[in-house]
Amino acid sequence: MTATGEDVPRFERRLFDPARRISRIGTGSLGGKARGLVAAARILHERRADLEVPGLSLDVPALCVVATSVFDAFLDRNGLRPVVAEEPSDEVIALAFQRATLPAEWLGDLRSLADDARLPLACRSSSALEDALGRPFAGVYGTKMIPGNQPDIAGRFKGLVDAVKFVFATTFFREARAYRRAAGELPEPEKMAVVVQEVVGRRHGDRFYPDLSGVARSYNFYPVGPAQPTEGVVDLALGLGKTIVDGGLCWSFSPAHPKRPPPVGSVRDLLDVTQAQFWAVNVGPPPPYDPMAETEHLVHRSLAEAEADGTLRYAASTYDAESDRLVPGTGRAGPRVVDFAPILSWQELPLVPALRKLLAVCEEELAAPVEIEFALSLPPGQPARLGFLQVRPLLVSRETVEVTAEDLLSPRAVVASPLAMGNGRHEVGDVVYVEPAAFEARLTPSIAAEIERMNRALVEAGRPYLLIGFGRWGSSDPWLGTPVRWDQISGARGIVEATLPQMNPEPSQGSHFFHNLTSHSVLYFTVPLHAGRGVDWGWLERQEVVARTEHVRHVRTETPLVLRVDGRSRRGVARPLRGEDEEGVSPESA
Amino acid sequence: MAIKGVNAFEMAQAQFDKVAAILDLDPATRELLRWPLREYSFAIPVRMDDGRVKIFRGFRVQHNDARGPSKGGIRFHPQETLDTVRALATWMTWKCAVVDIPLGGGKGGVICDPHHLSQREQEQICRGWVRQLARNVGPVADVPAPDVMTSGQHMLWMLDEFETIHGGHYPGFITGKPVGMGGSEGRTEATGYGVVFTIREALRELGIDVAQTRASVQGFGNVAQYAIRLYTQIGGKVTCVACWDQTDQAAYSFRREAGVDADQLVSISDRFGGIDKAKAKALGYEVLPGDSWLEQPVEILVPAALENQIRADNAPRIHAKVKVLAEGANGPTTPEADTILQEKGIFVIPDFLANAGGVTCSYFEQVQSNMNFFWEKDEVLARLDSKMTAAFHAVSELARKRKLFMRDAAYVIAINRVAQACRDRGWV
Repeated sequence: MTATGEDVPRFERRLFDPARRISRIGTGSLGGKARGLVAAARILHERRADLEVPGLSLDVPALCVVATSVFDAFLDRNGLRPVVAEEPSDEVIALAFQRATLPAEWLGDLRSLADDARLPLACRSSSALEDALGRPFAGVYGTKMIPGNQPDIAGRFKGLVDAVKFVFATTFFREARAYRRAAGELPEPEKMAVVVQEVVGRRHGDRFYPDLSGVARSYNFYPVGPAQPTEGVVDLALGLGKTIVDGGLCWSFSPAHPKRPPPVGSVRDLLDVTQAQFWAVNVGPPPPYDPMAETEHLVHRSLAEAEADGTLRYAASTYDAESDRLVPGTGRAGPRVVDFAPILSWQELPLVPALRKLLAVCEEELAAPVEIEFALSLPPGQPARLGFLQVRPLLVSRETVEVTAEDLLSPRAVVASPLAMGNGRHEVGDVVYVEPAAFEARLTPSIAAEIERMNRALVEAGRPYLLIGFGRWGSSDPWLGTPVRWDQISGARGIVEATLPQMNPEPSQGSHFFHNLTSHSVLYFTVPLHAGRGVDWGWLERQEVVARTEHVRHVRTETPLVLRVDGRSRRGVARPLRGEDEEGVSPESA
Repeated sequence: MAIKGVNAFEMAQAQFDKVAAILDLDPATRELLRWPLREYSFAIPVRMDDGRVKIFRGFRVQHNDARGPSKGGIRFHPQETLDTVRALATWMTWKCAVVDIPLGGGKGGVICDPHHLSQREQEQICRGWVRQLARNVGPVADVPAPDVMTSGQHMLWMLDEFETIHGGHYPGFITGKPVGMGGSEGRTEATGYGVVFTIREALRELGIDVAQTRASVQGFGNVAQYAIRLYTQIGGKVTCVACWDQTDQAAYSFRREAGVDADQLVSISDRFGGIDKAKAKALGYEVLPGDSWLEQPVEILVPAALENQIRADNAPRIHAKVKVLAEGANGPTTPEADTILQEKGIFVIPDFLANAGGVTCSYFEQVQSNMNFFWEKDEVLARLDSKMTAAFHAVSELARKRKLFMRDAAYVIAINRVAQACRDRGWV
């Protein structure tokens, strides 16, 4: 049962009413994201004293939630349900939604909201199912930023209306449908609310963006060096948080060891694995009209532009080739590396203590490990503003699974990984794998298409599977791995990132799909090139072939394959189930 | 049209006099605003389908254009009178002023019964009406619109005649045109939706949850149908609808406690909005006498048919549960009935505020037509909501502050605006 939003006050035709920072338009569910924001505001209100950090002001940016009754009325009154039931292409859905009219009784409120907002607004999807199921559907539905810089209210209103309709439309986009199918039986049909929220940031010429955005988790699935899983992990990016959500290059650190760099071969390598571009809201001349594009009002810019804006001041170090080291700050010439050293190493801003407090208080309040989203803005002459953008419980499997070093060497292991991610156990009866002999890096785009077809058939048949391929899954660079989107592999319950001598990049460890992996409890196995048994290709070849394309094979295993990952040791193994297996699950009950 | 014993224009003047006293208007301003600025009365000869020539009587009254071009509908009705047209033109002036749109008030009509006229004959009346007035109306002088028994088709005939005479395209001459021919999205819904926007705000102000309310509606024309739809969509329940039966020449009320379904009733109604009694009974509606709608135990009454429907003789029969009366029609309540409503503590949303959605959207249509650039429906309806809601709150705030009846507060705002415009122009 989805909670209604009656506890949140009705919108009073003023978004930035200081007495009413959170309001709603419409009735019904507010969706998971809005619920998280309401929780964030409550925590901030009730625990303000515990969260205080000198030199930093913490707030939840003003927001208004367009609740799900607006979504329902929009679909019903415009006859859109039969349209989406036919599952047409994303473009057809988006166009039909853009042509439809929002419910008349709420248009006045939306117009007044647009009238009040002269700065960029984020229109973020807030799914009722997320709320009902208590787990995030991260990255599944659309978010759209609107610049709010048009001088006339009609322009701002149109931008807002187009954005709300776009977010509604993404509920039925292919990726979202695939995601829901893969999620199995759902308690209710999906409904969408939209969070319309002030974007934290500052204007720099034609760009508007925060000095940094971040996601902090109080539990770390991949602790490195001295870090412990319970110490958590923080990802930081310059500009809008889209960089992190999209799985782009960002800076990860443990809040307990903020000065410790990520494990890379050399300082020089950092240049390749750190952020080189950032996202900002375009507040310059209007872009070509394209209401169906999520990035219509966004720009992706280089570090040089950030430097010109002065926003690298706290975000970058400079590579000194002579000494082969990084010098925090941008005081000298040289390549910039976005490592946030002035904040993390020199502590010029109290961000780390603020995040530590925030994570601890939120964990206490939610009685679970948490994930928080935030953005930091540094207005000149004022305290730094830390916008608290989300808090939600982090799904951490508490199941105790033990995978020993011997298990990795067992002849029964079909996949053995010393670098697995997640925690828990799944059983699958199907494996989709890229044939090593047929693999070439140049073929990865067609491999992605072949996998998508098999994924679709398996999702429709309700059969979870293990996916094995080479290189970084979800890589945007086809030469580093297979460029798939999540919806193309959404039925996989285990994913193996294997290596070949000709495809041996730095492991992605699932970073492109981090949210999808955690919310579906997908186990991720990284198999380095010379890591013990790796993948038993011979065993796979002996299984019954269900489908075969030029490069990909789908086999059905004789007995279910048990996938296990031990989150503490980070060992993972996949092996066929035996009657006397220590898991104690008979094949019939699988 | 004339209602036995009630002269609509005398009623309009009485209302004006009351507010002029509250505002303490000077005698010249009172004299100016009590009467129309200009009146046109003329003959329209039409060769009928049978070859005979028939002379129809046409009117146009421009009550006041101090705030902008006159705006008002054209009515085709056999009982049309100059006094009715004067009264309606006066109310248009106040209506445009209360929602703060830059237009004055006008009204027109032709004494005729379209039920007994062919399409060609009606077209000739439309063209004849424009030929008589082509120099006195236009996008910057007086902008007509559809009204009782006239439609988008009549407007297009009039527009075509006007453009033929003036030799150019002037889509801003007339409103109520079909979408695609210079009409505005949302115009069809505008009056009914506007009524509901004001009801929504009134309920909020009274602290009543719309989902806990029921309504009874008089009329089943365009205004009533869209009002019923939107009111139902926002959570209310309409339990009774009254409408005129053309065959029986009598009104009936249709009651269903489970709620009225507007779309279902439309499917069994004729082109004048008359509901088929037998089919309605089969669908579970009780068929009651015409004025039963007034006695229903509901929280909201919406008279959305004709003028002078709530009078001293029937107002006492209004149920004690009624909290809000929203006047969808023009002049549905007589001044005597107003007193009874006040005594009963009913919150009245006066006609020229409640049903101003139509003229507001007509104004939007005129703006779009003059620009030859048309807005999307979202834009039209959002602007409509903003205008109506702002107007409602201006009136209710004044009513609260000065302890005025809502109708008087609306008149005070409107008349004050028009009087000020007359003073600013140096007329008085």
